[in-house]
Amino acid sequence: MGAELGNYKSCVSARSTDKELLKNAQDGGIVTQLFAFALEEGIIDGAIVAANKEFYAKYPSKCIQDSSNLDMIEPWRPIPAIVNTKAELLAAAGTKYNISPNVALLKEATRSFGLDKIGIVGTPCQMQAVRKAQLYPVGLRNVGASISLAVGIFCMENFPYQSILQLVEDHAAMKLESVKKMEIGKGKFWVYGKRGQVVQLPLKITHKYEQPGCHVCLDYVANLGDISTGSVGSPDGWSTVFVRSKIGDSVWGKAMAAGCFETQPIEKVKPGLELVTKLANEKITKNKKTLEGRATFGVGKALRNPYI
Amino acid sequence: MSKVVEISPTTRHEGHSKLVLKVDDQGIIEKGNWCSITPVRGVEKLAVGKTPEQVPKIASRVCGICPIAHCLAATEAMEASIKCEIPNDAKLLRHILQLANRLHSHALHNILTLPDMYIPGTETKINPFTSEEPVRSVAKRIQRLREIGQTVGQIAGGEAIHPSNPRIGGMYRNCSEQAKTKMYDLAKEGLTLAHAQSEFMIAVLRNYQKRDWVDVGGMKVPLPKTLGYHDQGYLATHAFYGSSSLEENPSWDIRRFKEARPYDWYMGEMEVTLEEPKYPIGGTTKMGTKTNPQMEACTGIPMYDGQPIEVGPRARLAVYRGFDEKGTIGQQIARQMEYQDCLYEMIDCIDELNPNGKVVADYIPDGDGTLGWASNEAPRGTDVHLARVKDWKVQFFSMLVPTTWNFATCSKALEGAPWQLAEVIMRGYDPCVSCATHMIVVDEDKKIIAQKLIQ
Repeated sequence: MGAELGNYKSCVSARSTDKELLKNAQDGGIVTQLFAFALEEGIIDGAIVAANKEFYAKYPSKCIQDSSNLDMIEPWRPIPAIVNTKAELLAAAGTKYNISPNVALLKEATRSFGLDKIGIVGTPCQMQAVRKAQLYPVGLRNVGASISLAVGIFCMENFPYQSILQLVEDHAAMKLESVKKMEIGKGKFWVYGKRGQVVQLPLKITHKYEQPGCHVCLDYVANLGDISTGSVGSPDGWSTVFVRSKIGDSVWGKAMAAGCFETQPIEKVKPGLELVTKLANEKITKNKKTLEGRATFGVGKALRNPYI
Repeated sequence: MSKVVEISPTTRHEGHSKLVLKVDDQGIIEKGNWCSITPVRGVEKLAVGKTPEQVPKIASRVCGICPIAHCLAATEAMEASIKCEIPNDAKLLRHILQLANRLHSHALHNILTLPDMYIPGTETKINPFTSEEPVRSVAKRIQRLREIGQTVGQIAGGEAIHPSNPRIGGMYRNCSEQAKTKMYDLAKEGLTLAHAQSEFMIAVLRNYQKRDWVDVGGMKVPLPKTLGYHDQGYLATHAFYGSSSLEENPSWDIRRFKEARPYDWYMGEMEVTLEEPKYPIGGTTKMGTKTNPQMEACTGIPMYDGQPIEVGPRARLAVYRGFDEKGTIGQQIARQMEYQDCLYEMIDCIDELNPNGKVVADYIPDGDGTLGWASNEAPRGTDVHLARVKDWKVQFFSMLVPTTWNFATCSKALEGAPWQLAEVIMRGYDPCVSCATHMIVVDEDKKIIAQKLIQ
C-alpha cells in the first residue's frame, strides 16, 4: 500500500536511558521519558496522561473525576490526569489496555489547570481528535495553540473496561487487583500477576471483546502524532519511534542530544519495520471491509463512513 | 420652534438602540429619549420551570460583554432563594472571575470611546486601528489588557465569555497551584499596563474636556462644560462585587425599587423634522420619518426611590469613595480609575485563594419559593437578578440589568447638550443594550399598559 505508516521524518528503535524509569514503563519508556524531558526543558508545562486509581488516590487534584467516592473506582480503570513532575509521570506510566478519555481533559488543562503548553498522549483516534480540535476549535477557545507535543501510540484496537474485566477475571482467571502488567505481543495477550504468575491468551479469544467502534479505524501508527511510538517492530524492552512533525523532530533532536534515549537503526533490529507494515496493512484491510460493509448496512441508508 | 432629530442606530456600543432628540434652534437638546430597539429576549420567560442549574447559563447568554456578571448574579439569586451559603474559596474564584470581566470590558470600552477623542495637542481624532504611533502602542496595550482579563476569566471561570465553572452552591472546580501562579503573574503584568492605560485615558479625556468645540462629521460643535450633567443620583451595591438578600445588611433594598413602562416615560409619536446628512455613518434619519419612542422602546424604566438613577463606575466611586465629578468626562474618568482598583483587588483575591480548598457547599437545599435577589457590579453597573426557587424548579426569574437603569438617566443627561454630542454622552455609559431589552409586568394594574405595547 505504501501510506500505511504515514508521513515521518525518521524512524528508530529506542529505549530510555533511565533505568529507574524503565522499571515502570511498558516497553522502551518512550512516552514517559519524552514527557519527563519536555517538562524539564519547559517544552511543555504539563502533560495529559492515562493514570489509575492509585495515582488518583495520591494526587486527587490532578484529575477532574469526582473524588467523593474512591471505592467506586475499579482497578485498571484509566483516569486521565495532568502531570507536572517526573514523579507524577512515573506514577502514571504503563499501558492500561482500555480507553482513557485523555481528550476530555484537553480544555480543562488550559482552564483550571492553567497550562500554556500541553503535552498529550493518545491512541491514533485521539490524535485525530486533537488535530481536529486544533483545526475546528468549536467550544475549544484558545486550546489549539496550547498543544505543544502530541505523542501517539500504536493501536490495533482497544477494549472497553468490561472486556478487560472479563478477559482478566474469566479467561485469565486472575483478580484485576492482582495484575501487575498487561501486554499484547507475539500474537498473544499477556497478563502478569503480582505474585509472578503469567497467563497468555491467544488473540483469537480477545477479538470478540474489542470495541466495535475500533473496526472503522484506518490508522495503526498514529499518523497525526508529532511523535508516535509502540513496541511493534522492536526487540523486547525497546520501542519503535516515528518522528513525524517539525515539533516532533525538534523535541526528539533535543532529547537525543540530552542523552535521554539509546537508539538502534530500525533496519538493524528484528522484526523491524516489516512487521509494523504488515500489521498496519492487516488493520487497514480488515477495517476497510467494515467500512464497505457499512455502506450496505442499515435500512435504506448506509451508515456514515467516518473517512468521508 | 423645537425640531426633532433621530440618530438611529447609535454606534460603537453593544446592542441596538436609537436617540430621539427634541432640539431648539441652536441645536441644543431640550428633551432626549434614548431607547433600546433590540427585540425582547424573553430570557426571564425561558427560565420559568427550568432547574436553577440551567438558568444562570441561559441568563449569561443574553449578551457576550458582561455574561459573567449575569451568570454570577443569576447563580447567586438562586442561592439567595434556596438560602445556600458557599465556601470562601468559591467566593474568591467568583470575585476573580468578575474582576477579570471588568478589566476586559473597560479595555474594550476604551476602543469604542477613543474615536470621539483627540490626540492631546493636535486636531487629530484618535483612530484606534491605525498603525501609527502613539495610538498603535495604546491599541496593543488595550488588547493585552483584554487578553489578560479573558485569560484570568478562563482559568477562574472555565470560559472567558460564558463561564462554565460557577454552579449553584459554589464552583465546579478549584484551580490548580500552577493556574493560581499564572493568574497572579497575569494580574501583575496587567497592573503595570493598567497604570499606564489609565493615565493615558485620563490625559486624553482631560484634553477633550478643555476644548471649546469638537468636530462631528465636519461640523464644528461647541462643547458645553456641563456635558452629560444630570441630577439623578447614584446606585451601587458594592465597590467591587455585589450583594445579595442572604447578607445581614444587604446594600440594595427591593422595597425601594419600582419599575415603570416606557409608555409612561418616553415621548409619543413624532415626525423627524431635522436631518443632517453629514452626521457620521450615513447621516441621521430622513426628514418626515415617523418615530415613536413610547411604543418602540423595548425596556422597562426601573426606579429607585421613585427616580431613575445612574449605575456604573462613577456610581461605585461616588457611593464608596466620594468621587464627585459630574458629567460624561467625570464618568469616563471614574471608569479609568477602576482599572488599577480592579487589578489590586484581583491580586488580593488570588493571594487569599487556597487551591486545595473546598469550592462546593456541603448542603444545597431544594428551595421553598422564597424570593431571593443578588446584585453583581457588572462593568457598566449594578446587575440585580431576582429569583424564586421551589423544589429545585425556578418559579420566577427577573433581571434588572445595568443599562436598563441607565436608559432613563442618560435620557435626562442629554438635556442641554448639542444634539451632535448625544452619542458621546450615551457612550459614556458604556451601554450594553441587549441585556437591557426585556419587559416584565410586576403589578397587576399595569398589565393594561403592557398589552397596549404589544398591540
